[in-house]
Amino acid sequence: MTDPPPIPEQAITEGAGEAGALVGAEERLALREAQPRRPRSYLARVTVRTMGRWGAAMGGLWLGFIALLAIFAPLIASSFPLVMKSADGTVSSPWIAFLKPMDVALPLLAAMALLLLFGFRGWATARKWLVFLVVGGSVVGASYLVVSPPALATYDTYRGGLKSGEIEWAVHTPIRFSPSDRLRDQPKAEPVAPSGTHWLGTTRNNADLASRMIHACRIALAVGFIATGIAVVIGVAVGGLMGYFSRTVDLLGMRLVEIFEAIPQLYLLLTFVAFFPRNQYTLYFIMVIIGLVSWTGYARFTRAEFLKLREQDFVVATKALGLPLRSTLFKHMLPNGVAPVLVTASFGIASAILAEAFLSFIGLGLADEPSWGQLLSQAVGGGGTFVWWIAIFPGLAIFLTVFAYNLIGESLRDAIDPHTQKASQA
Amino acid sequence: MLTYIIRRLLLMVPTMLGITAVVFFVMAFSPGGVAGNIISAEGDMDSGQAAVLRAYYDARYGLDQPKVVQYGRWLNQISPIGWGSALNDQGLPETTGFGFKWPDLGESFSKGRPVLDLYAEALPVTLLLNGITVPIVWVVAIFSGVYAARFRGKWFDVTSGTALLALWSIPVIWAGVLLIGFLANEQWLRWFPTGGLSSTGATEMAFLPGFSLAGVWERGWLLDRLWHLVLPVICLVYGSFAVLSKLMRASVLETISAEYVRTARAKGLPGGRVLWGHAFRNALLPLITVAAGIIPSLLGGSLIVEKIFSIDGMGKLTLDAIFARDRDLVLAGALISGIITLVCILIADLCYALADPRVSYD
Repeated sequence: MTDPPPIPEQAITEGAGEAGALVGAEERLALREAQPRRPRSYLARVTVRTMGRWGAAMGGLWLGFIALLAIFAPLIASSFPLVMKSADGTVSSPWIAFLKPMDVALPLLAAMALLLLFGFRGWATARKWLVFLVVGGSVVGASYLVVSPPALATYDTYRGGLKSGEIEWAVHTPIRFSPSDRLRDQPKAEPVAPSGTHWLGTTRNNADLASRMIHACRIALAVGFIATGIAVVIGVAVGGLMGYFSRTVDLLGMRLVEIFEAIPQLYLLLTFVAFFPRNQYTLYFIMVIIGLVSWTGYARFTRAEFLKLREQDFVVATKALGLPLRSTLFKHMLPNGVAPVLVTASFGIASAILAEAFLSFIGLGLADEPSWGQLLSQAVGGGGTFVWWIAIFPGLAIFLTVFAYNLIGESLRDAIDPHTQKASQA
Repeated sequence: MLTYIIRRLLLMVPTMLGITAVVFFVMAFSPGGVAGNIISAEGDMDSGQAAVLRAYYDARYGLDQPKVVQYGRWLNQISPIGWGSALNDQGLPETTGFGFKWPDLGESFSKGRPVLDLYAEALPVTLLLNGITVPIVWVVAIFSGVYAARFRGKWFDVTSGTALLALWSIPVIWAGVLLIGFLANEQWLRWFPTGGLSSTGATEMAFLPGFSLAGVWERGWLLDRLWHLVLPVICLVYGSFAVLSKLMRASVLETISAEYVRTARAKGLPGGRVLWGHAFRNALLPLITVAAGIIPSLLGGSLIVEKIFSIDGMGKLTLDAIFARDRDLVLAGALISGIITLVCILIADLCYALADPRVSYD
């Protein structure tokens, strides 16, 4: 082994256990941290250290790509011309007229998130979250009030118009098919293989596969985040209370955790979803249920952390200073005990996506909205016919997304685990 | 130790109550409840028919009573002490005296057979699937874990870590569809059957492969069964390596840096003996806890696999029951898989104490 590189003084005081792991990217990080600047928060340091690993970086790239597709889905795949000129000389944009509320709200939300993340440096994190929730909520609400696309969309009008000359010219999105465009003007008995017109082929009911997959990115991302978000909130709350109060609360709480752990998650999920009627809210229902059945892991980890923390000096000090319980729990203990929760959350997002894919696969998901699992279920059809492109592409999308989250979770675990750092020192 | 076991067994009772209560009330509070299927069918019936069906459901499940009473009725039915019941001449249950009785899991509404019989048929199938899966998972995971620790930071460690994580991320539904589509389909390769556990007519086959009296090669029952098991077992196996292998690697790494391993190396033992004779055996300890703990998650996994390959095991029975709103079958499924899970956790804890004299529960 080569001699360890000289370590800046400040980096050593940052954390003695980390010193050995400072090579390559982390050495640069340490140098950057040595600059006389506002010290990074714990979370920021963990993020930088995690993303410095190539696995997490690749995973992050893929997720960024998926997120871009989700945000700009209508700009990439739509049957409606962006701009067109009719034979009578009027120039119009059917694309704008047919935008759905979410199509408008998502880019606005994303822009706001980026602005809050990288701008407003002086603001506290809690303030940023508050602004994001309030303004984001009103943006979504407003877009549902303001944007109202025509209820009935006839996709073939524009293709037919171009062919018959009623439309002089039209500018299209890269993929010229909407996800629910069943191409009724060109009915086919069999799905079409990937080609220049249909980049990834068509599905069994004649829709464009690429378009459906791009619009399905939204569901995949939303399921992961919302379901895991619910699970984390419940888990941290229950686990935190168990760890802090221990005794009776702990005993009862652990029974609750055991009950939910002993029911196979899939079993409960299936019972919930199969027994309640399916409508346009089913997706949100699925997210809530996944959240409700998968919080036990977070509760266990938070409980263990809080049991450790409650004896420590700084927690005792908050009690001695007479701080309210709320402050002790959320401002002082939680930030110090949240690290293992992040790792589990990253794996949890992956398994939430898998759960949604399975539900859609067996036909318990959404009926018409595109979802990767539902697309995958069309690969093997009645009579044993097998369509390879419907099997490969949606499955690959699920796999890559799940793999990305797992890679990030793995790197995150290594980044916050003092043992791995000790091991690389030994 | 005995007190500990008894205490744990007693603690299982409230847990099982909780599990069945959650499942029961989810079903009871859903629109239509367990009788939901007749609501949709009611349009096709005349009012007399529908009323008869309703009366049947009410008598059978006590749907006209409060939901808590309905749950109490079910608990009474499965408990060994309580009010007995017998079928009257109209085929409806009637309460008899209080006392000891055989616990009764009820009768399946959709299949018209006792629930116990159905699960007694389905459980061995699932156990067979998992019985083949578990040893394969263990052997591969243990060896890859040990070698990853042995060559820590080298290419084997890095590639096996990433590859197993990738395998873990492959959705079972995707693997199943690909395997069926490419290896069991007339359009591509027709190497394996698409589903089930035996070919038609497997019952008439000889057990072992051989030549029939006419001199024709026959594969026999055993080979036929194995042939059907290949794809489902692949689907069950590949995803389970990552967690165990990672655990094994961490455990070996910990023991390798222990004093006694250094001593063994210092007194000049060959590397292989140090690794396998000294470090490996102690590194197995933390794996014992997960040995039994892995079984519940395998049960969940085999639900998906049984669905994809249409194998009539526990998972498929449960799925069918849920879709048919077959209350007794669903509740019995929750009860059985809950008990299996809890017993596995208990066994894991006990094994840990048996293997490590430092651990004591008294």
